[in-house]
Amino acid sequence: MTNAVEMIGIRKVYPGVIANNNVNFSVATGEIHALVGENGAGKSTLMNVLFGLTRPEEGQIFINGKQVHIHKNSDAIALGIGMVHQSFKLVPSFTVTENITLGGEPRKGLLVDRKAAHDNIVEISKRFGLQVDPDARIRDLPVGVQQRVEILKALYHNADILILDEPTAVLTPQETRDLFGVIRSLVAKGKTVIFITHKFNEVMTISDRVTVMRDGKVVETKDTKDTNPTELARMMVGRDVLLRVDKAPANPKDVVLEVQDLEVLDNRNLKAVRGLSLQVRAGEILGIAGVEGNGQRELVEAIVGLRPVYSGKVVMQGKEITHASVRQRRDDGISCVPEDRYVRGVALRATLEDNLIVESYFKEPIGRGMLIDLNQVTEFSQNLIKKFDVRTPSSKVTAGALSGGNMQKVVLARELSLDPTLLIVAQPTRGLDVGSIEFVHRTIIEARDRGAAVLLVSAELEEIMSLSDRINVVYEGRIMGEVSGAEADEESLGLWMAGVGGNAEAAHEASSEHTAETLKG
Amino acid sequence: MDGSVLLDILSRYVFNIANIQGMLRLATPVVLAGLCALITDRAGILNIAGEGMILLGAWFAVAASYFFGSSMMGLLGGIVAGLVVGALFALFSLKFRAHIIVMGIAINIFADAATIFLTRSVFGVAGGFTDPKIVGFGAIEIPFIKDIPILGELLSGYTFIVYLTWFLVAATALFLYRTPWGFHLRAVGENPEAAETMGINVQRIRFLAVMASGVFAALAGVYLSLGHLQGYVDKMAAGRGFIGMAVNTFGGGAPLGVFLSSLLFGFVDMLGFRLQAERIIPIYFVSMMPYIVTLAALTYFTIRRENARKRAATKKA
Repeated sequence: MTNAVEMIGIRKVYPGVIANNNVNFSVATGEIHALVGENGAGKSTLMNVLFGLTRPEEGQIFINGKQVHIHKNSDAIALGIGMVHQSFKLVPSFTVTENITLGGEPRKGLLVDRKAAHDNIVEISKRFGLQVDPDARIRDLPVGVQQRVEILKALYHNADILILDEPTAVLTPQETRDLFGVIRSLVAKGKTVIFITHKFNEVMTISDRVTVMRDGKVVETKDTKDTNPTELARMMVGRDVLLRVDKAPANPKDVVLEVQDLEVLDNRNLKAVRGLSLQVRAGEILGIAGVEGNGQRELVEAIVGLRPVYSGKVVMQGKEITHASVRQRRDDGISCVPEDRYVRGVALRATLEDNLIVESYFKEPIGRGMLIDLNQVTEFSQNLIKKFDVRTPSSKVTAGALSGGNMQKVVLARELSLDPTLLIVAQPTRGLDVGSIEFVHRTIIEARDRGAAVLLVSAELEEIMSLSDRINVVYEGRIMGEVSGAEADEESLGLWMAGVGGNAEAAHEASSEHTAETLKG
Repeated sequence: MDGSVLLDILSRYVFNIANIQGMLRLATPVVLAGLCALITDRAGILNIAGEGMILLGAWFAVAASYFFGSSMMGLLGGIVAGLVVGALFALFSLKFRAHIIVMGIAINIFADAATIFLTRSVFGVAGGFTDPKIVGFGAIEIPFIKDIPILGELLSGYTFIVYLTWFLVAATALFLYRTPWGFHLRAVGENPEAAETMGINVQRIRFLAVMASGVFAALAGVYLSLGHLQGYVDKMAAGRGFIGMAVNTFGGGAPLGVFLSSLLFGFVDMLGFRLQAERIIPIYFVSMMPYIVTLAALTYFTIRRENARKRAATKKA
């Protein structure tokens, strides 16, 4: 069997980093090959080299046994290589057909032959079993369908080798299952698939072989059936990794945060949080489980003071803070790791130092009267960078230059440097690799063990179940039910998340009670 | 005021063929300025240099017409000026990465000063230049069509540039929505990464778009100096480059939309001329009117449209 892709001795250097160091990588024709590694391990660089988005300093590439020179990405497209990027490269106002044919439109004289384009898409989508409406506009389509359009785009441009860059990161479990079906049918029709991921269960489910990269080098390529998640994790991180979270039983003390009958409006002025109550005690982790968009974001923003409260109360250690300023809440000991680290977690264009001191520049010893002591800033920052193991060449690089995992460490470092009484963490490991996930989880548990009250909001059920001492499930802005972390099982949490059972009846009763009262009155 | 007076006013200021002709003529440079804004806007470039490009186009058209004694040479001179200034703008802002707004301001200031300087040094006069040797565009009567009652009067008897403008509106629409290059241009404007990954040369398309915008603006200038007047007057662009950006926004980035929004400006501008002749309202107020009315109307309609869109989005979600 020939190799569809053979990359030999690839070397790519970026200022300060060797992104690919003598990498050998080969993919057999017709296989599903998983490429795994932590962020920054060099897998994206390797694929960018293959797709012609960047040129290596050294190395050779063979496609179907023939040596090729890929200078720009149209060369790669011409060689039958297609890539589905993690962030889709689609034009929102164009139709499905227009997006798929972009750059290779069928022509009739000087004009685009729209009928031929349309028929072409119908034919391809039928041949590969990928259903789409050719005339729908991209902006009206859900993410899963947009991804299908991306795959069709590659197929339309005659791709035989498909690179999928973390394709499941944006998908629901249902959509992921559909995608796996699509991948299998593509391979059955003779296509070759390279699947970039850092989720081990996906590697085990979908791939024939797996290549692990670390620090710009290939660690090993193995048949998937001869390996297991633990081994993959070890190869990826370079040491043993705990895939399970290890933690001592909680030792809850006084109530720190109390939320009473809270109602909060979303950006469209609709009630996103609808009469929600909860309590978090010192020394415990309360996990809020739920499908995204059920009021979690508004709840967090209301507690930290970024969003006004419509009705209800927020009480911190017995003191009402419902309408307090953000600074005041910070002074009361609230810290928050926000869900979107790129928007609210860090200032991308500011240095690590600036990012780390934004909560403390106005306090001694960094702030001195009207001035900031720059030596203190550097010392403070470098201590945190060391303590939180942020991998960075210096404390003066911009936050945007860091990988997702290191950026999250910066956020954690800043938030925990205040020694918070209440730590709120929202989607703390989204988009992170195993090594970083393990670090973030350990840090959260350490904060709990030091006596902080922790409110964890996550859409990852596994994360909620392994970290939380108590779990509340939120559905349409209300708490559906509570279980202890030890007793939680995926099945019943899933039902609550879908709005079945639990307090649904209670909520219903409440509203009928309300009707009864109205009738009485 | 009885009904007959109102009817008289309406027919004098609004519903008569001479007024509609005036509206179409006065709208022409705004349509062209609008196309200048449109073609760069659709390629994802904020081009505020339209004003300066119009001035340079107008000046070089007059110069070429004067020296060669031909209106078509004047047209060519304007177009070449537009291409050159467009190419320079593209070179500095796209290739050498000068800030695009700063670059646009620079071109506007440069054009303002350069045309004044050139008028003095080449023609030895200040403030403007007219001369019998400048050949402008004459009215074209279209055979057969001119004999159709009403329609003939509405469609026939304009200068070449007016017809060229109508043609360009249609051609730009065809280009944008039916040709591969139009698709590429719009893709570049909306999601350059999507275009790039499909092997489209983003930089080249943007470069060409800026040059095309130079030609559109220069044509507006040619119309002002050889179609509307026959000669050059300092600052004769009179803000039309910026009004062009407004009509592009209001026209939703579509050529037909640009054309229709420009008619509003043309109409108020025409009305201004009528009122000026009657000396009812102070002249300064009258000459402000087209700008104020156009901007106010466009702002009002744009806000309304945005609100409607927002409401639709909320309903869907």
